[in-house]
Amino acid sequence: MSENTIGKKSLDWVDKRFPVIDLFERHLSKYYSPSNINIWYLFGFLLLIVLVMQILTGLWLMMNYTNTAEGAFSSIEYIMRDVEYGWLIRYMHAGGASAFFALIYLHMFRGMMYGSYQKPRELIWVGGWFVYVLLCAEGFTGYVLPWGQMSFWAAQVIISLVGSIPYFGEDLAIWIRGDYIVSGITLSRLFAFHVVLLPILIIAVVFFHILALHEIGSNNPDGIDVKKHTDQDGVPLDAKPFFPYDITHDFYALGVFLLIFCTVIFFFPEGGGYIIEYVNYEPANPLSTPAHIVPSWYYTPFYAMLRAIDFPLFGLTAKFLGFVVMAAGIAIFAALPWLDRSPVKSIKYKGILSKVFLAGFVISFFVLAYLGSVPPTETKNMLAKVFTFLYFAYFLLMPFYTRFEKCKPVPERVGDSA
Amino acid sequence: MKTFFYFIIIVSSSLIFSAGEYRCGSMECDYFEADVSDKASLQRGLSTYMNYCYGCHSLKYSRYKRVAEDLLIPLEMYENNLIFDGSKIGELMEISLTKDDAINWLGAYPPDLTLEARLRRPDWIYTYLRNYYPDSSRPYGVNNRVYQNVNMPHVLEDMQNTLSKKQYDQVIYDLTNFMTYVADPSAEQRRRIGTYVLLFLIIFTAFAYMTYREFKKDLK
Repeated sequence: MSENTIGKKSLDWVDKRFPVIDLFERHLSKYYSPSNINIWYLFGFLLLIVLVMQILTGLWLMMNYTNTAEGAFSSIEYIMRDVEYGWLIRYMHAGGASAFFALIYLHMFRGMMYGSYQKPRELIWVGGWFVYVLLCAEGFTGYVLPWGQMSFWAAQVIISLVGSIPYFGEDLAIWIRGDYIVSGITLSRLFAFHVVLLPILIIAVVFFHILALHEIGSNNPDGIDVKKHTDQDGVPLDAKPFFPYDITHDFYALGVFLLIFCTVIFFFPEGGGYIIEYVNYEPANPLSTPAHIVPSWYYTPFYAMLRAIDFPLFGLTAKFLGFVVMAAGIAIFAALPWLDRSPVKSIKYKGILSKVFLAGFVISFFVLAYLGSVPPTETKNMLAKVFTFLYFAYFLLMPFYTRFEKCKPVPERVGDSA
Repeated sequence: MKTFFYFIIIVSSSLIFSAGEYRCGSMECDYFEADVSDKASLQRGLSTYMNYCYGCHSLKYSRYKRVAEDLLIPLEMYENNLIFDGSKIGELMEISLTKDDAINWLGAYPPDLTLEARLRRPDWIYTYLRNYYPDSSRPYGVNNRVYQNVNMPHVLEDMQNTLSKKQYDQVIYDLTNFMTYVADPSAEQRRRIGTYVLLFLIIFTAFAYMTYREFKKDLK
């Protein structure tokens, strides 16, 4: 490279005023990731891409969406029919929501499997958990906007949960709805949350999440601390710079992801009723309740927990207890760093009990997801109770089984056998 | 560990996708596969719709012009033959039946059917329209196996009585095909563009893979 090109000069000019080179090095070319990370480490990048896609498609949808009870449903059909490529933007946004959750569940499972939440990554984990909670709120508020039957009734059910809180619940629910039932007033406030407040919070917390990660660096499938062994310049020996080694891997993963994603949105945009529910093609009607009210697939495990609690206890209603259990099912992820007392991080070196409980968690998550998506029966309700119990057992028994089980020794360096 | 994960995925997906009760009332839905590229079928379906259904059931999210263009019908011919109330060709396909009149005359307001094929699925419509049967206990003397005690009279009764079963099935096929089209008019364009998008992505992924592989060599 010659010294005095325009490019070099302008870069120098900017760099004296804003640390571009320093930022590039710190976060990309001299940001090191362990050499043994595998495909489970690709989802973070994909999530970031999906976040950008949701913001852009959302922006374009907003240009033609009407946030009133009278106009919302037909404005969606206007986007689908009269706006040039409106159907594409809408399918990307709806499919993007499902992709977002699918990816975030894989991303979270990676953390649970390899103990990425353990010291010193507690804040990365809690930050990520907070993104997930915000995403749940974002998904819910977004789902109401098309103002179809399922939009309306899902909102009605979810907001009524707040009403089950003793003493002030009903007043709180009315305050949230701004009305005695879900109405156009509720719709326009959920719209404001969906397009302004929640996206800003999500971006802010994602920024925090990545900043915290780049301070400490990625964990790896062996749970080895790669910063322990460095060369004389302080570069970790068992690591590689993010740029260009990880970024090229990430782009390859992006290609594979987009192949799957585009197959869905161009050829199966409704995803068999899982991405866009068929009932939602009927405009919201407060006078007619659909036969089965089902949330989107990504909430169904928690919905199953809500329905599993069908008995009052200590003077509290079943509905309120179900609400508490459901909220706890989401909240408990944040406590993971302090529940895990294992001396090792990765499931590879943990004892048999950790493996059994993690498998139990995965099975209960899938079974609850199924149970939450079908109409309840006596047997299914019993199953939901059992699997809710199994789900929580993974978390609540963790301080015990991780402390007493026998772990395998962790190798000192990547590639070593212990 | 790997086999275990595959096992979980297979078991849970088979649980999730297993079907429950009949979707078509008292019976299984008949097999129906739409072909929205068959313009002749769509045109016949449109003509049945406009002459038999459109008196009561609007298509208010769709526009005349869009239908004419997508079905390759000359605009002038469409305007002269398929717009009955002097609407402009760019307008939404709304009907003149008012809600009050409908409730007075029929006891209910016939729903808009633009999205019916997405709401109930095409095979439901196809089965429903072919399963009216005489039932003297009902006000119109007909009942339906798919939609018990339905309010709608059997509008196509004359047609069913004069045509052969095969011809009648064809009429219903075309009508359902048209309703499938009008519920999702971008489907054909979507699949066409989708094919190119996937072709591009295959090339993109191949290059991304080769770049990844090249850099990976450094690390050995």
